[in-house]
Amino acid sequence: MLLDVHDLHVEFHTRDGVAQAVNGVSYGVDEGETLAVLGESGSGKSVTAQAIMGILDVPPGRITGGEVIFRGRDLLTLKEEQRRKVRGAEMAMIFQDALSSLNPVISVGDQLGEMFTVHRGMSKKDARAEAVELMDRVRIPAARERVRQYPHQFSGGMRQRIMIAMALALEPALIIADEPTTALDVTVQAQVMELLAELQREYRMGLILITHDLGVVADVADRIAVMYAGRIVESAPVHDIYKAPAHPYTRGLLDSIPRLDQKGRELYAIRGLPPNLMDIPPGCAFHPRCPMARDVCRTDEPPLYEVTESEAGRGSACHFWRECLHG
Amino acid sequence: MGRYVVRRLLQMIPVFVGATLLIFLMVNVMGDPIAGLCGERRCDPATAARLEKEFGLDKPVWQQYLTYMGNVFTGDFGTAFNGQEVTELMATAFPVTIRLTVIAILFEVVVGIVLGVVTGLRRGRPVDTGVLLLTLVVISVPTFVTGLLLQLLLGVKWGWIRPSVSSEAPFDELILPGLVLASVSLAYVTRLTRTSIAENRRSDYVRTAVAKGLPRRRVITRHLLRTSLIPVVTFIGADIGFLMGGAIVTERIFNIHGVGYQIYQGILRQNTQTVVGFVTVLVLVFLVANLVVDLLYAVLDPRIRYA
Repeated sequence: MLLDVHDLHVEFHTRDGVAQAVNGVSYGVDEGETLAVLGESGSGKSVTAQAIMGILDVPPGRITGGEVIFRGRDLLTLKEEQRRKVRGAEMAMIFQDALSSLNPVISVGDQLGEMFTVHRGMSKKDARAEAVELMDRVRIPAARERVRQYPHQFSGGMRQRIMIAMALALEPALIIADEPTTALDVTVQAQVMELLAELQREYRMGLILITHDLGVVADVADRIAVMYAGRIVESAPVHDIYKAPAHPYTRGLLDSIPRLDQKGRELYAIRGLPPNLMDIPPGCAFHPRCPMARDVCRTDEPPLYEVTESEAGRGSACHFWRECLHG
Repeated sequence: MGRYVVRRLLQMIPVFVGATLLIFLMVNVMGDPIAGLCGERRCDPATAARLEKEFGLDKPVWQQYLTYMGNVFTGDFGTAFNGQEVTELMATAFPVTIRLTVIAILFEVVVGIVLGVVTGLRRGRPVDTGVLLLTLVVISVPTFVTGLLLQLLLGVKWGWIRPSVSSEAPFDELILPGLVLASVSLAYVTRLTRTSIAENRRSDYVRTAVAKGLPRRRVITRHLLRTSLIPVVTFIGADIGFLMGGAIVTERIFNIHGVGYQIYQGILRQNTQTVVGFVTVLVLVFLVANLVVDLLYAVLDPRIRYA
């Protein structure tokens, strides 16, 4: 296993109290595998990623437990300087909004080249040549000329390609893409996603794709982990989930996708709102919104049950997963 | 860029004319230009008339102004009533004030920005609160109090420095006056940098820089500082003009014979030519400093392009 996150806990200490952002998340990614992490805003999917990368804002954030085993060592026990050398070189991150995530006053060539000068000790000139090659690889036209330009001179799609190029620069083993296409036009989304998937296959990288777009997931992901209130509620190979979800929340998400054959009918939406992370409901955190909730859901927190009817490792944190799977 | 500079230079003309005309009118029309010529007494009418004719004061004001400006552009700022050429006064006064300003700007840039970065990165910690309180004190206490106090303590009581600057005004003697002159602006630069750093520290591109595995030092100096300094540079640039002309108080305290001192003397003795001449040059300094700031802005922030 390339990356093995085990029982990760993250809290945020704010003036109003302690927000339990991540509550015992475990997931793993293999070489060349794509894991899609799904969930609403505030489900803890980005925070988990930031904890893995080691870019959590501390304080207010704090990792209170768990392990992040990457290539055989627990990143959480490493010293910051060792951690820094892993970042960017062995694992890299792609952010949602490329315009604000790229430095507005440094040319894209310098921002790309920096990876090589800092991590590889290359000369500025060689780094510049590498930058041009990277821009070529993510198919930015006229890379040689545009390498001197600044982020605001590129279109949204091109900017996101630059982010991807930056993440790929040192051929990391793992890439975490945090909603890489959310800020883009729909037509550009597909191109960028395709490019990312293609490069991932080429380099055999592990990819964690954080998204709330179920459409994107079906095409590129191998496995899906669905998060709710800082926990994984369902984890399964992508086809199993689309065929039959084993958790009512996953079912709710799937039912919320607009479908052509239901044209004219009212769109389905999961009722209620995600819980306040400072006051997560006892028992199953989803029970106030769950159509299947019973008394036991209000008192007993469900563990991640192994879904025995599926051959590949599949888990559901629902007391009534069997019912959900067949119902 | 070239066209922008030309346009800006053209825009300077009306500002320059307006500002100089205003000061010319204030001194020549509202004041009495020959009042200071006959010592303590008022001039007797015959002498006054003779003097007025000699200096062209009997002509209409607009004509006086045009003649004056015409002379200025040939490098003739006229003669002070004591017979000294105004340009001569400038040649002794400006180098001193420029030295003083350089020292003050250095204090602002080095001390102000360092303090701003340190406090901005440690917002809410004791260092931050301490520096913040200090800047508040510096801003609220007038310069003449800070200046006199430091002069008394360092110069008179402890004898670390000469309480009054010698007539050549070398750099080392100007350090304390420079600090006093810079003090208020220094406090503003600190606060401005602090706010800017604290704000940008949470920005997405700084997070990206960290995620790229850059060393902390590089994240701060290359990614955080450059964007954060944009407003600070604007402030410091505008401050150059202010420091050059606004040194009157500081120069008086430390007996420095610079621009502020000469203007003060000029006003005191109703020495029209001196006052108008110096102010004209200061207006130019202001205008040029502002242009340089705006051009520097484009260098620091490539999103700004002048066309």
